[in-house]
This record gives sequence, C-alpha cells and structure tokens, in this order.
Amino acid sequence: MNQQFPNSIRIFVFSLLALGIFLLALGGYIPPLTRAVLTPLTSSQTWISQQFQGLEDFISAPRDAAAIRRENEKLEAENARLEAQIIELQQQLLEFEILSALLDFARAQPEHTYLGATVIGRDPSPFLDFLIINRGSDDGLQRGMPVVSQNGLVGRIAQVSAKSARVQLITDPSVKINVQVQPSQSEAVLTGTITGDIRLEQIPQNTNVTPGNLVLTSGLGGNYPPNIIVGQITSVRNPEYALFQSASVQPVTDFADLDIVLVITNFNPVNIQPLIPTPESP
Amino acid sequence: MISILLSIPILSLVTIIQSAVVSRMPLLQGTADLVMVVIIAWALQRRVKYPWQWALMGGILMDFYSSFPFGVYTLSYLALSVLAQLMSQRLWKFSFLIQLFLTLLGTMLVHIISTLVLFLQGTSLEILRVLQSITLPSLLLNLMLTLPVYIIMVDFAHQLYPEEVEL
Repeated sequence: MNQQFPNSIRIFVFSLLALGIFLLALGGYIPPLTRAVLTPLTSSQTWISQQFQGLEDFISAPRDAAAIRRENEKLEAENARLEAQIIELQQQLLEFEILSALLDFARAQPEHTYLGATVIGRDPSPFLDFLIINRGSDDGLQRGMPVVSQNGLVGRIAQVSAKSARVQLITDPSVKINVQVQPSQSEAVLTGTITGDIRLEQIPQNTNVTPGNLVLTSGLGGNYPPNIIVGQITSVRNPEYALFQSASVQPVTDFADLDIVLVITNFNPVNIQPLIPTPESP
Repeated sequence: MISILLSIPILSLVTIIQSAVVSRMPLLQGTADLVMVVIIAWALQRRVKYPWQWALMGGILMDFYSSFPFGVYTLSYLALSVLAQLMSQRLWKFSFLIQLFLTLLGTMLVHIISTLVLFLQGTSLEILRVLQSITLPSLLLNLMLTLPVYIIMVDFAHQLYPEEVEL
C-alpha cells in the first residue's frame, strides 16, 4: 500500500477529506450524521451506566444502609415532633373555638364582666357535682359569683382559695335556683339530683308548661343574675291532686365536657337570710 | 420514717390524678376511687408496718379536695387500713383476694358514709337510684383498678423494704 501511493498523494487525499468534512460541517450536514452515529451509542451507554450504577449500589449498600438508618431515625424524630405539634395545634384550635364561643356569649350579655377560667379537676366524690377551676381570690373571685359557659349557666363559686376555686354545678343535689319558664313566665325552683339530672319543682298548677319551653334564671333570691339560660323542659309531670307541677330539664351545658368557663365577676349575690322571718323574730 | 416521707409525694400525685383524670371519667354517675385502692393495696403488704400512716395522709388529701365535711374520707380510709392489716396478718396467702374483698367493702363503706352525710344535710336521696347509678358503677371501676394497683404496690413494697437474707 505504501509502495502503491506515495506520501504526497496520501497527504493530498487526507487534506481533501479534511477539507470536505470541514465544508460539510460549514454546510450543516454533520449534526444529522452525528445523531445517526451517537443514538445507538447513547442507548448502549445508558444501559451500561445503569448496570454499573446498580452494581455500585449493591457494593456500597452496607455503608448506605447505615446512612439510611440514620436518616430514617432523623425523619422519625422529625415526624414525632410534627405529630406532637399537630396535636398541640389541634388543642389550641379547640381552645380557640371554645374561647370564641365564650366571647360571643360575653358580647351577647355586655352588662356583665367576665373572667375566663380553666377547669382543672372535679370533686373526687361521685355524690357531689363540683368543679375546680384555676382562678382564685388572687384573681378577684369571691364566693357566690355565678359561673357560665358559652351555652348557659354552669353554677356558682362555692369556695375560694388563693389560686383556685370550687364551683358548685347546678346538677349538685343541694342546689336550689329560682327560675322562670319561657314563654309562660311562670316561676319555679330548679333542683339538682344525686344522679346528675335537674328538675323543676313548684310550678303553679294554673300555668301552661310544655316540653320544649326554655328555663332561665329569674334573679329572685339574689343568688344569680336574671335571664341566664339554664335548659329546656323535656317532660312535665302533673299529678291530679298535687299542689304543683314538676318537670325534667335538659341542661344546655354539657357538664361532662366542660374545659373553660366564665365567671361573672361584677355580680354580688344578695344574702336575704336576715330578711326571712323566724319564729323568734318580732 | 421513709414510708411517711414517701407517702406525701406519692399520695399527693395519686390525689391529683384522682381529681384531674379519674373523676372526669365516670361510668354512669360512678367514678373510681384510686386513692382508696392504693391505700388498701399498701396496707396488704406484709412488710408495711404502719399502713394507717398512708391511710391518714390519703384521707386528709382527699378531704381537702372534696366538698364533703372534713373527715369523711380520713375516717373511711383509716377504718379500711386497720381492717386490711388485720386480715392480711391472718390470711396473708390470699392477699389479692382480700384486696378484692376490701375494695368491695371500702366502696360500700365510703358510699354509705357519703349518703349518710348527704341525708343529714337534707338532700333527698333515692337509694335504689344511688345504688344503680353511682355505687355499682363505682364498684366496677374500683375492681378494675385493683389488679394493676396491687401489682405496682407489691413491687414498690419490695423496692422499699428489700427481703433480708440470712448468712
């Protein structure tokens, strides 16, 4: 071959070939050619690279597993923290909803001054219906102040210490509250029972009281401010020869699910005991 | 001495749990009496010499928390602890059975005293409804607490009074 073509001719042919390629490149004919050549090469390279990557992953797996485990632990810790945060936020949302409802109640009755308190416990005896709240005489609370929820009457403060107070619920068996029934406006006495129900006693016979009627505080006796909603009559008992009617009342407040309450701080209960005549009084 | 010192934080914690948690989980109207179950379980431990100390402490704490006249719980718990100690000295092999029996007896005792106090205060009571809505559910809850509390108190007594080994 070397003998058939002298060097000068070979150089000339290569130069011509190089010039041709250069001219083809200038004319834009090379890229399609490049594509035609590189496409099968790229496919092969991708396949080889994937196999190599898989092999590399397999070989380096133990080291990565440890890293993944660490990463997993970190993510689990992060997950636990976020879950705790979600629970906390849900709790805050719930409190916000309760406070919002309490605010609505307070706005609806602007004549009173309120102090919010959290329920922190209950009387340990199942025979008594008392709550323990986290406000006391340091916050200005006094014995006898009425306590309400966003729905209506809860009870009144029975005992106060510096940082806490005991609230006697309207369901307590020793409670007696003067109320009026709407729309008949008849007066009655609301009493708690040992089983946690509330009843209306001493409803006059000549008044028309029916299930669904509302029960509100009347303000008589001076222990509670008037017109605080207590509940709704569910059934009426009217024995033939009885002096009074009686009724069962469904309270508007769910006492089992009471977390935050409002204490009416500008109401001073009136002690009418000295005004009640006794046999010894003149 | 250490038993008295330990009774203050332990029974304070138990009383707080009673007021903040247990009393807020009623069955009908009945609630469990965790302090009473703890006191009975403690009194039944053979190595405990003066169980009345815990009964006194628990009773006073419960009387502070309760709106009943002071002494209702203290007297009830003291009576129970004395009874528990007497029974455990004679029937020590059956201490868990005694625990169950005393839980039943204690629930009845506390409820009878409570009912009596309410009656004297002028509260109208329907005994059958009290039994159905308060006493029987409370008894069931107390009996449910008996086993876990008993196991914890056995373990605690072992920790506090380790068995002496003869050499």
